[in-house]
Amino acid sequence: MHNHRAKRLIGFILLGFVLFLIGNRVDDLRLYQGASVAMYVIGIASIVLLTGFSGQISLGNGAIMALGGFSATLAQSTWGLPLPLTFVVAVLGAALFGLILGVAAARLSGPYLAGATLALAVALPSLANQFSFLGGEQGLQFNSGSAPEFFNGEVSQYKWFFWISALAALLITWLISNILQSRYGRGWRAVRSNSTAAELVGIHSARSKVLAFTLASGIAGLAGAVLALNLGGVSPSAYPLSLSFALITGAVLAGISTLSGSVIGALLLVGMSELVGSLTSRFSLEDVLAENLKELLVSVLLILAVVFTPNGPGDRIRERKELHKKKK
Amino acid sequence: MMRFTRSKIIGFATVAAAALAVSTLPAQAAVNETQGVTATQITLGISQPTNGPASYGYNKVAPAMDAYFKYVNANGGVNGRKIKLIIKNDGYKVTDAVNKTVELVSRDKVFALVGSLGTANNIAVSNSPAIDLAGQKIPSLFVNTGFSGFAKKSDFPTMFPLFPSYYMETKILGGYIKDNFAGKKVGIIYQDDDFGDDALAGLKQAGVTIAPGASISYASFSQSVATATTWVTKLKTAGAEVVIFYGVTSAAAFALRVAAGAAYKPQWIIDSVGGDATTLGLLGVTPAVLDGAITTSFLPAATDSADPYVKLFKTINTKYNVAGTVWDNNVLTGMNTAMMTVAALKAAGKNLTRSGVIKAIETQGKTFPSASLAQPQFSTTSHVGYNGFWIGTYDSTATLKPEGGKYKIYTTDSASGDVKVSTWKRPAMPAKGLPK
Repeated sequence: MHNHRAKRLIGFILLGFVLFLIGNRVDDLRLYQGASVAMYVIGIASIVLLTGFSGQISLGNGAIMALGGFSATLAQSTWGLPLPLTFVVAVLGAALFGLILGVAAARLSGPYLAGATLALAVALPSLANQFSFLGGEQGLQFNSGSAPEFFNGEVSQYKWFFWISALAALLITWLISNILQSRYGRGWRAVRSNSTAAELVGIHSARSKVLAFTLASGIAGLAGAVLALNLGGVSPSAYPLSLSFALITGAVLAGISTLSGSVIGALLLVGMSELVGSLTSRFSLEDVLAENLKELLVSVLLILAVVFTPNGPGDRIRERKELHKKKK
Repeated sequence: MMRFTRSKIIGFATVAAAALAVSTLPAQAAVNETQGVTATQITLGISQPTNGPASYGYNKVAPAMDAYFKYVNANGGVNGRKIKLIIKNDGYKVTDAVNKTVELVSRDKVFALVGSLGTANNIAVSNSPAIDLAGQKIPSLFVNTGFSGFAKKSDFPTMFPLFPSYYMETKILGGYIKDNFAGKKVGIIYQDDDFGDDALAGLKQAGVTIAPGASISYASFSQSVATATTWVTKLKTAGAEVVIFYGVTSAAAFALRVAAGAAYKPQWIIDSVGGDATTLGLLGVTPAVLDGAITTSFLPAATDSADPYVKLFKTINTKYNVAGTVWDNNVLTGMNTAMMTVAALKAAGKNLTRSGVIKAIETQGKTFPSASLAQPQFSTTSHVGYNGFWIGTYDSTATLKPEGGKYKIYTTDSASGDVKVSTWKRPAMPAKGLPK
């Protein structure tokens, strides 16, 4: 078991090193997109934990991200905290909210929980508009800073963002993958599969669900803070309802029950407009058509994913691997 | 086993740290004054909604700009260079506006942004550390928004608004309401962000009081028949007799249609950016519903065929715009913005630089030719563009008629200054509508 964990850690460090090398070889736009991918990875990982493992549905992840973004920004402007600590505040703030919400959510399930969290996604951003200390619709500025002087100004703003976002994504996915392999992770899966059976073997089903909700919210909060960093500010319109849906789409497309799927989902979300862009220029389509093409492609992919790989391509790959192992 | 892997980890960490130290990193891009300018071409970029609920009407602005640029290119270009306009769709969404502008700046390598649409979007773009508008001296020319804050040079050093501000507009309208609808109950529907707030501030400055319960704000994108029904119910209950609408055209259409359906007929006053008759018509507002509504403009009426600019732009629309584009105020606005852009690029001279364009507008912008009936106010200390409007009323054929039969321009500022009637005469259009 320890060996397994150490292997995983080495894997993550290697991945980080590869990302670092890639970061030195791509242009500014790719770095910026890379930072967006990292943000989506964190956001989708939160859904994987909550829905894929704990079996709870949330349509309000965008709102929780907003909470994280605003927490980080307020922590910076009120307490003057350095960047890493603002991220910690974002995680704690969102997790605290998730805890409260989770207690309520543990009583709800299925469509009722989906409805309640959807209401949250609709209401929370508009609520932020009502308080002047949150900056109204214009929002607040987040000072993203630039690379430390140590680098002699040789690290561009884009690369700086990419580093921070990628590091945050690596750290959090590593943590989640560890948690999912722990007794908590096994507990969640047990409750998801059959809560009565789980209770019988001594798992406190409600407590287990609340824990998942709290953790998932904290992770979403981090995604929100990363978005604030990349945008240089927070505002209700930076966390629209469509963000919540995009995250779910990403999670479903890539397999809601595998953590590695979150990377595929995030790449799809960011890469789709790129793909549509190249299709547009190759076949010289009208811009208006091209924009609708993106939504069409996403919808088609979503339907295909639900029909052919209800648990996502990530799950398919895992299944195949396990089959392969058994054969051996 | 565990010990071995731990040392392995340390090994990897060391390699990573060493790589970090020795790896040759490309230097941070210095200000590139001539990005997007070649011997033969100037690349410009615009981010605006081309689809989605907020795009109606506005999606015609960028193609209209492009049509005017094509006309200029066909007539020798700008100091020998042709203009290329790259259009990106942000769906009127803040994050998309930032993402698309990053693409424009870092991949498409545009020289300047031109006509970027939306108050919140432009604020976000200017806040974005990745784009670094001010640091990279990227000119953001003639943005499609009337938020008064953009004229502050200290806050937005490279940004130039063109439209008279929403603050000016409601201040002028406020005076008009007090003169013409004294004693009537006034209500307002406004988009709940800096767009609407600017308008409220102007009304307050004019001393107009909103009747209790008749001040209705709505979140951007929330416009629908259902929300418009609640607006109308509230306004009816409050007994509003004059209703000011301050939002995008698609929301105005819902308000007008639902009110007409409920047989509620207040005196409508629609903002200049939401009151285009053609777009409202496409969104189901019949001329009968629009009949009697008041709106403002700083350009001649799109239906005013006697105006030389309208006449020229209409021929450009037929010849150079996307086939089948119906001529309206949005096309007129887009071409006017494009003409100001060409004037600015020409004035900056043959050795085109970002700082050069900014300086040219600050020092010569007041005399740039354009269709506007109010004069541009650009100076080295202020980035205020046009400063006035005329007020008009729609007749039963949805034709906008200026009050008193001819354009009477009211000018003011975005602070406590008085509203005055302008005596400025628009200079004659340059030959073929090409800025010198």
